[in-house]
This record gives sequence, structure tokens and C-alpha cells, in this order.
Amino acid sequence: MSSLADAFKVLNELKAAGVVGDYAVAGAMALVFWTEPVATFDLDVLVTLDPPATGLVSLESIYRWAEQRGYSLQAEHILIEGMPTQIVPSPDALADEAVASAVELDYQGVTVRVVRPEYLIALYLHPHASTAKRRERAAALLDSPRLNRALLDEILKRHGLSL
Amino acid sequence: MGSPSKQLVDRPSAELLLRLRTGKAELHTAHANLPLPEKVRLVMELQRIVLPLIARQRQLRPWEKPWEIEP
Repeated sequence: MSSLADAFKVLNELKAAGVVGDYAVAGAMALVFWTEPVATFDLDVLVTLDPPATGLVSLESIYRWAEQRGYSLQAEHILIEGMPTQIVPSPDALADEAVASAVELDYQGVTVRVVRPEYLIALYLHPHASTAKRRERAAALLDSPRLNRALLDEILKRHGLSL
Repeated sequence: MGSPSKQLVDRPSAELLLRLRTGKAELHTAHANLPLPEKVRLVMELQRIVLPLIARQRQLRPWEKPWEIEP
């Protein structure tokens, strides 16, 4: 049976193969790294493309890579080592920064890049993405002792967001 | 019979409420500090709990299934 660590290994291979510029685990699974476990059914992965996309972004190369590896598609998810994984090209400068500043953590001997809690909050508060559930998750992160409040305030100010 | 606001009702003391809130905060902290594989195991346990509840409210999406993986 596959493990979550196997899925993280594949994300590192996705980057090493140059299919994406960089990646960072985001969404609820990133939240689990920083706070309490929450119910989630998929793995959200923010990616930047290398070279950066200048026009319409296509997931074609990522889907082709997945197909070559024998991973099936399930709606907009790729089933990577048993994990429904949604790969999302970074939509804006905030997400670019979230990927670039991601922290490398160890999960059972595998390095995995995870969006920092300060950027997770900012992403949750983004007007295009903010829902009651996401605001609740942002609130949970605000209570985390791992949060750098000064960094959060600076990010929010720079991107015109507020708590 | 008087109005509900005039009835004498036992209320929890401030000390009890504080103890309950502290206990809850300690539980949250304990969960947040669990080793990552243990947190993932709990995520998978939560999936099995919430899935039937979601299914009662709406049609499940294709990827909304308990993970068949090792944490």
C-alpha cells in the first residue's frame, strides 16, 4: 500500500523533472502540518511554472507527465500514489511568494515543501477564495504558536488584505 | 408560573467555565503537537466520520473517499 510519504516523493520528482518550477503543499493538508487535523479528502499543491507563464496557463504538461507515470485522473485531480492531488498553477503574486517561501519539512524521511502558516492565512483571506470554512481555518492558524505575527501583518499589508 | 427570566436557574460557575475553556485549549494544543503521521491517521479517521454526513447533504464528488494509504 502506498503512503503519504510516497506521494510527497512524487511531488519532489515533479519538480526535479522540470515539469514545474517549484511546488508547495497548500490547503487543508498544509494546515494539518501547522495545527490540528481537519477533515480533507485531497492534497492541494500550488505550483509555479518555469519559465513563468505569460499567457493562458495549461496543465497539459502536468497531465502528460502524470499519464506517463501511470497516474489516473479523477475529475480535476490526479491520483498520485493513492492520494487525490489537485495541482494548481499559482494564480497571483501572493501565491508565487507562498510557493517561493515554503518551508521544507520532513515527513517520514521525505522532504516536503509546505506553505508557511502566514501565507496560508493570507491565501485563505484572499477575496477570491474566502469562504466561511476558510476564514475558520485562518482563525485556527492565528492561534498557532508557530505563527510569526509580524511577518503575517507585513504580508497582509503588502497584499491589501485584512483579518 | 413566572417568566423564564425570573426563574432561578443553576448556572456554571466562572471557575467551571474557565476550567472547560482551558481544557478545550489544551486538547487543541495536544492535537496540534502530535507527530505528523499521527495527525494524518486522525485525518483519515475524520474522513470516515464526516463522509456519511456529507453524503446526506449532497452528492459526493469523485475524490471524496477515505484514503487507502498508509499514514
